[in-house]
Amino acid sequence: MEEYHRPCDEVGFNAEEAHNIVKECVDGVLGGEDYNQNNINQWTASIVEQSLAHLVKLGKAYKYIVTCAVVQRSAYGFHTASSCFWDTTSDGTCTVRWENRTMNCIVNVFAIAIVL
Amino acid sequence: MAERHNSKQLAWRLEQSAENSHSEPEGQSRENEVSVSTVSHSDEPSQRDETSRLTVRVENTYQLGPTKHFPVATVNHILKDVLTAYLQEAEYDPEFCRQMTKTISEVIKAQVKELMIPRYKLIVTVYIGQRDCQSILIGSRCLWNPKSDTVSSYVFRNSTLFALANVYAVYFE
Repeated sequence: MEEYHRPCDEVGFNAEEAHNIVKECVDGVLGGEDYNQNNINQWTASIVEQSLAHLVKLGKAYKYIVTCAVVQRSAYGFHTASSCFWDTTSDGTCTVRWENRTMNCIVNVFAIAIVL
Repeated sequence: MAERHNSKQLAWRLEQSAENSHSEPEGQSRENEVSVSTVSHSDEPSQRDETSRLTVRVENTYQLGPTKHFPVATVNHILKDVLTAYLQEAEYDPEFCRQMTKTISEVIKAQVKELMIPRYKLIVTVYIGQRDCQSILIGSRCLWNPKSDTVSSYVFRNSTLFALANVYAVYFE
């Protein structure tokens, strides 16, 4: 069997590309919507699934972890932090913050390289 | 709305030579015999460190899967212990929680690393929020190999705040 050599024109995770992809997904799902308790489950699921599907379409050899937090806009504070133990040359992360009048959305994408 | 998003990365290198990345004033680094770790804090989605971009080619191990699987239950206990220890008596305060999220994620990562599960990469995420009548939903989806990769999670609540900690463990093939 021939060994598959992936076209190596760029090394490491392209955060900008992922950022654009995710931003489009979030705009598509939440754009123009107001916070609604009934739909929130569905929205987070679609954001995450669509982002994942688009990331996979890039065709790169990565495992992806996509997390999404949607918070109702209020006077209350919210903090997130992440800490990663990996190989910085090949793996990477990207975070997208999105907001509208009634809610805030934070999407994190973590990409871990698969060595073929 | 008072909202802060912090993220940080810990670098784990295969090479022996130490290369410290440029970090914010709060950064610190420590070195042990085979790996160099650097800590940098940034309030923006992190830019890649200016390090070597050469891909490391590793030899074939002929291993099909992990010899030792990730112990989800043990890690659940670790999360529970760490969150309870740090936040049991805490009141929500923006500066305090800002620092706490970073500290807690570092502590959890250090403790899970101590378990010495070989060939697993770790991602620890911590969410802390003020608790009172607002609604929040946090979800995640992962594209990975379910036989070897897994996630562990714990939610802590007290009267003024809630905290969610997730550990994603990905097998390095």
